[in-house]
Amino acid sequence: MHSLRRLFLFIFSTLILLALSLKIEELRVYQGAQIAIYALGISSIVLLTGYSGQVSLGNGAFMAIGAYTAALTQIHWHLPLFFTFVVGTFSAALAGALLGGGAARLSGPYLAGATLALAVGLPTLANQFTILNGETGLDYTSGTPPTWFGESFTLYKWFFWIVLVNVMLMMFFVRNITSSRYGRTWKALRGNPVAAQLSGIQVGGSKILAFTISAGVAGLAGSLLGMIGFVGPTGFGLGLSFALVTGAVLSGVTSLAGSMLGAVVLVAIPELASVIAHRLGDTERVTSNLPGLIMSTLLILTVLFTPNGPAEQIRKHKARKQ
Amino acid sequence: MIGSKRKGLGVVITAAIATSALLISAIPAHAEVGVSSSEIKLGITVPQTGPAATGYSKVAPAMKAYFAYVNANGGVNGRKINLIIKDDKYIPQEAINMTNELILKDKVMAIVGALGTANNLAVASKVQIASRGVPSLFVNTGFSGFADKQKFPTTFALFPSYAMEAKAIATYLKENLPTAKTCVLLQNDDFGADAAAGFKTGGVTFTETVKYVSGTQSSATGQTWVGKFAAAKCEVVVLFGVGTANAIALGVAAAGGYKPQWILGSVGSDVTTIKATLNNPQATALMNGAIGASWAPDSADLTDEYVKQFREINTTYNAGAVFDNNVMVGMSEGLLIVQALRAAGSNPTRKSLIAAIEKKGSTFATAGYSTLAYSATSHVGQTGFWFGKYNLAGELKSVDGKYTMYTTDSAAGPVVKTEQKRLPMPAKGLPSNS
Repeated sequence: MHSLRRLFLFIFSTLILLALSLKIEELRVYQGAQIAIYALGISSIVLLTGYSGQVSLGNGAFMAIGAYTAALTQIHWHLPLFFTFVVGTFSAALAGALLGGGAARLSGPYLAGATLALAVGLPTLANQFTILNGETGLDYTSGTPPTWFGESFTLYKWFFWIVLVNVMLMMFFVRNITSSRYGRTWKALRGNPVAAQLSGIQVGGSKILAFTISAGVAGLAGSLLGMIGFVGPTGFGLGLSFALVTGAVLSGVTSLAGSMLGAVVLVAIPELASVIAHRLGDTERVTSNLPGLIMSTLLILTVLFTPNGPAEQIRKHKARKQ
Repeated sequence: MIGSKRKGLGVVITAAIATSALLISAIPAHAEVGVSSSEIKLGITVPQTGPAATGYSKVAPAMKAYFAYVNANGGVNGRKINLIIKDDKYIPQEAINMTNELILKDKVMAIVGALGTANNLAVASKVQIASRGVPSLFVNTGFSGFADKQKFPTTFALFPSYAMEAKAIATYLKENLPTAKTCVLLQNDDFGADAAAGFKTGGVTFTETVKYVSGTQSSATGQTWVGKFAAAKCEVVVLFGVGTANAIALGVAAAGGYKPQWILGSVGSDVTTIKATLNNPQATALMNGAIGASWAPDSADLTDEYVKQFREINTTYNAGAVFDNNVMVGMSEGLLIVQALRAAGSNPTRKSLIAAIEKKGSTFATAGYSTLAYSATSHVGQTGFWFGKYNLAGELKSVDGKYTMYTTDSAAGPVVKTEQKRLPMPAKGLPSNS
């Protein structure tokens, strides 16, 4: 797609979604913001795993770095909100570059293990340094919406607008980079690292770059998640990293467009489970196990029937028809 | 002709005004969110599943059981109370999500008994219940910050704060164990910080202070804590952690033959939690001889009229759940909520509910042994503690038989010893206030 046409499409979609948010009830607007953030988080996995072929089980940790650094710069340096996002993004990218340096020498289960260790270990740091405020976390806020938006423009609409604009900007960047020569380089790496190296591709440098950008994308997602939610160790636990990987598998690891689908599923499942659990009598066993059961079933079905995700499946179906 | 037209117009206008007046009078004076002619919807977020659910998961069902009892006896001014329980797993982000559902989807009138310091802080910041005008009644945490009316204008505390408790314990130590080498176990967060500030104000100096990170308590970490206490030759150890941490410390110390004079904070002395943590129904024996601070009667005290009444309700309306301090807290909060709703008038609104607690809250009957401190300038609930000794069954018995209260504030105010006084339990546990 021509980049100008793509830019127009992104701007148009953003405007439509912003306008839609004015007509939707507040709870759904908040969930819309969550979906957009998860979509960005999933994109960071898609970029890393789907394009460069590196496995990460620790992108939740990069989100934590983004959220904490953004919150700290707001609390201690009183930076405007947008600049806190920039700091969050670049801090996570820097951490990604450092990890990427080591990750370039690892592959397969070793790399998965290293990133998993990061996801497990990093949130516990919050309890080791007073500045991170332990389990209580940090209060990172968007401030109130500008008064000239009127009284009907609620806090959650303000959340949604901030989130959507930032997510769409980053998605545009990610979409462009994946269709650039870097994207093609990563694809070559994923396909066959030896062949890629023989073709003159710098394997180590390309892997580090993919890790850096993926971590930066996750960092922005983390900053946004912290702004609308909770910046604390329980907000960025292992569960978040696994949720992102699950979302990526559900949406098809190679499909950026599918990341939205994975994000919708992640947000919808708890609510769906709660409705079903309510009908089944709200017993503790059902309530606590149902979300996991639904998620696992979906994962199995996806791997069995649409291993590359529904978006890829639809594309193939269309291609066959033609 | 013109005159008759005017006359006709006058009749139409008069009829229209009369009809409008009739229609307006037929509409309830207050069409408040969550309040209909037959029902008042309330919501609570608590851990019903997950590691923190042990013990805490009993609070909300107990409150619901008390409301069922009130509903069966006519409700609140003819309205039934519908309590919607949401599981936040003790995770702040879940608390935000669940509170959003309660306010925006279920449209509750008020949040009641929301549990946890971090959860309540996160909800106040991100859901902004204050700017939405949603009351958050009798939060289930002792963090002193929630009593700040300027910062949390719609939130009401119930428990005396951790700082108050620490000051009371400091005074008790100075009076009764002035020369003993004293040490303390604290949680490394706002809960512990609040307590540490109270101990400092209370003027107690600890030989050894051990801080643990919430969620890291295990037999291994317990060995480290107890090792430090033993190495420092602590004669008195104040366990000011949560129930699981205190249980581990007691278990590890008993296994190692270390026997200091234990002092248990009220948060971490729940018998159900201690037994469940150590997976031993006889674990209460480890509490035998320990000194404990409490703001309410022991749930096993059958001579107490509140305990007696709540136990009766529990048997019929809570499927006979084992009656413990968690059940009592849930029912006590329920009792207060019903009084607050009654005081808010025949057509309660969120505003009138808050105003009623500020105006009449100090006259509400409560199981706690100190009177409630609610006023137009204060959202503080209970303000005092009594001291007792635990027996083999884990029951707390008053050391002086009189339940002398150590009453104070969360700041630098003095600790004042007073006689225990409270209002009697309303007849049959059913408030009749207005």
